[in-house]
Amino acid sequence: MSTVRTKELIHAYIQLPGVLRENFSELRSQAKETLDNCAFPTKKDEEWRFTDLKSITANKFESVDTGITQAELELDEFHLPEATHSRLVFIDGNFSPTHSAIEGMPDGVIVGNLSDFSENEQLRSHLGSMTNYDDDVFVPLNDVNFQDGTFIYVPKETVIEQPIHILNVFTDRNHPHFVTPRVLFVGEMYSKATIIEEHIGLSDNVYLNVPVNEFRLYSGAHVHHARIQRDSKNASHVSRPVAMLDAHAEYHSYTICLGAKLFRNEPRVIQNAEEVDFTVDGLVLIDGEQIADTHSIMDHRFSHGNSHQLHKVVVNDQAHSIFNGKIFVAKDAQKIDSFQENRNLLISDTGKVNTKPQLEIFADDVRCSHGATIGQLQDEEVFYLQSRGLTEQKSRELLVYAFALESVESMAVKSVEELLLKEVIAYTNRD
Amino acid sequence: MLEIRNLHAVVEGEELEILKGVNLTVNKGEIHAIMGPNGSGKSTLSKVVSGHPEYEVTEGTILFEGEDITEMDADERAHLGLFLAFQYPVEVPGITNKTLLREAYNTIARANEREELDPLEFEDYLVSKLEIIEMKDEFLNRSINTGFSGGEKKKNEIFQMAVLNPRLSFLDETDSGLDIDALKLVSDGVNKIASPENAIVMITHYQRLLNYIKPDFVHVMLDGKIVKSGDISLAVELEANGYDQMQKELA
Repeated sequence: MSTVRTKELIHAYIQLPGVLRENFSELRSQAKETLDNCAFPTKKDEEWRFTDLKSITANKFESVDTGITQAELELDEFHLPEATHSRLVFIDGNFSPTHSAIEGMPDGVIVGNLSDFSENEQLRSHLGSMTNYDDDVFVPLNDVNFQDGTFIYVPKETVIEQPIHILNVFTDRNHPHFVTPRVLFVGEMYSKATIIEEHIGLSDNVYLNVPVNEFRLYSGAHVHHARIQRDSKNASHVSRPVAMLDAHAEYHSYTICLGAKLFRNEPRVIQNAEEVDFTVDGLVLIDGEQIADTHSIMDHRFSHGNSHQLHKVVVNDQAHSIFNGKIFVAKDAQKIDSFQENRNLLISDTGKVNTKPQLEIFADDVRCSHGATIGQLQDEEVFYLQSRGLTEQKSRELLVYAFALESVESMAVKSVEELLLKEVIAYTNRD
Repeated sequence: MLEIRNLHAVVEGEELEILKGVNLTVNKGEIHAIMGPNGSGKSTLSKVVSGHPEYEVTEGTILFEGEDITEMDADERAHLGLFLAFQYPVEVPGITNKTLLREAYNTIARANEREELDPLEFEDYLVSKLEIIEMKDEFLNRSINTGFSGGEKKKNEIFQMAVLNPRLSFLDETDSGLDIDALKLVSDGVNKIASPENAIVMITHYQRLLNYIKPDFVHVMLDGKIVKSGDISLAVELEANGYDQMQKELA
């Protein structure tokens, strides 16, 4: 006899706003309908079977009132010198004009708060157009709830020289709250931009961070996108970053995971025309009881695409890393060159790693390589360094640092590279 | 300088003895060669003396400058002035030669209450040592031994030795896998480093290395013990008659 198990809906864990927000009503009402009918994931779902969602389901998260500004909050330490005049700051999801600074952008460029541009044609036609995740409650949650967010529009053949820093900070609100950061980026033909997207928990408070990013790159557009997740160690973070690329577009993304109790990242890059080039690299440094889960999709729908994914992970204590890397190559998408590698370094006896490359290739003339390794520091390497006079501790630190370094060196922005080096050193020195 | 007394050792957690009572004395200014067939325990001896955690000393002592170092960690031994040139130098991607050597040099300096070198001073110091082994300076910024040829790896060991300036060096099969030009270069380097103030112990299977680095003493190791000691003529005898002959004579 079988029993039908009723699954919980998202309402069991998240207190949605009672009345739908007024703008983007079509997007929101569709999302609301999904939320009312779509079950919250559990370990019984194939895509979630390794991921312990306790840090979400043990709480009831409330939304944050809109329009609250916290002008007195001191955030200077998080500023990037390269982005002094190209910074957008969101505090618990609310845009903070006093902390933000946008000056000297080229003609026609828009960098600003989404809710100020709700009548903009580009925004209206792109928002919600790329985030088609199956059986998903998190995109609809963001759709229903987001108010402020980032809107970037780069006109044809325009280059934004300075990196744009999107700084999301999370304060202690005395009650678990949820925040839904949103980014919409539209890059017209042969435009160019660098985006640094950061998530920082200001204390060890409990919150749920559900960002959704949509990046639309038209022909020949180039984007370098660094995502740095330094959420509170008690936070949960579920990300949905999507990029859609037309011919000759290049999108290079690097996700660094340092914080959060639970991090579930689902980057997705869609090749929407011939000849594109993209990167979906990741670096994960976790310890304690952190869970970091990456489920990525590199979706080649047309011929002549290059993709690269190096996902590096260091696991200490009882932390748990999960990787599921899907590469899709459609039937007529020939001459695809795709590289995927997941390298895991376990530096405790109690850490855990699940890794699964998943290639679904329907074309016959492609080159797709994939690999996954799980290793520990080699005794012979430690002894080699020790025999040269380094302490055992220092030798181990240096080896972990060397493992992580490769990913950090890809950050195009000097101060971000330096920041990450400090984080890597702090991680290796933790014991 | 070094005094090894009745040294017995096993692989950690195993019963089988690999060293079965080694005695060896090395004085300042001397060059020694330890020869022996595969499996005789000569490489193990160099690892045990430099503190490899894989081995456990079950009996005997190792004295260095009068101090008992038998139970010391490898890094503490390095601080006292011991150095091991590895038979198989380890590749460490992501850490440059320069980073390792500066960290090592300054750690040893700190342990000995000598002044550390700042990055610029250290750069000059490193460059001054390059000529010993005819190395190009781009070598310094490459990851340790990563993608190096066999010969480059051995050269790098001798370069590290030149930079760290140890009091006693064990060279474990430094000649293996070197062609004749590389062998000459590496030997020249060792001869430049050798001084009345330091000592060198070469571990080798073949006599050929001894044509380039002249030892004061030659020891033969068989089955975990030093069975015969003498001068260079012992090496010549071994080359002519082989280890089997010597084993028979001794039996």
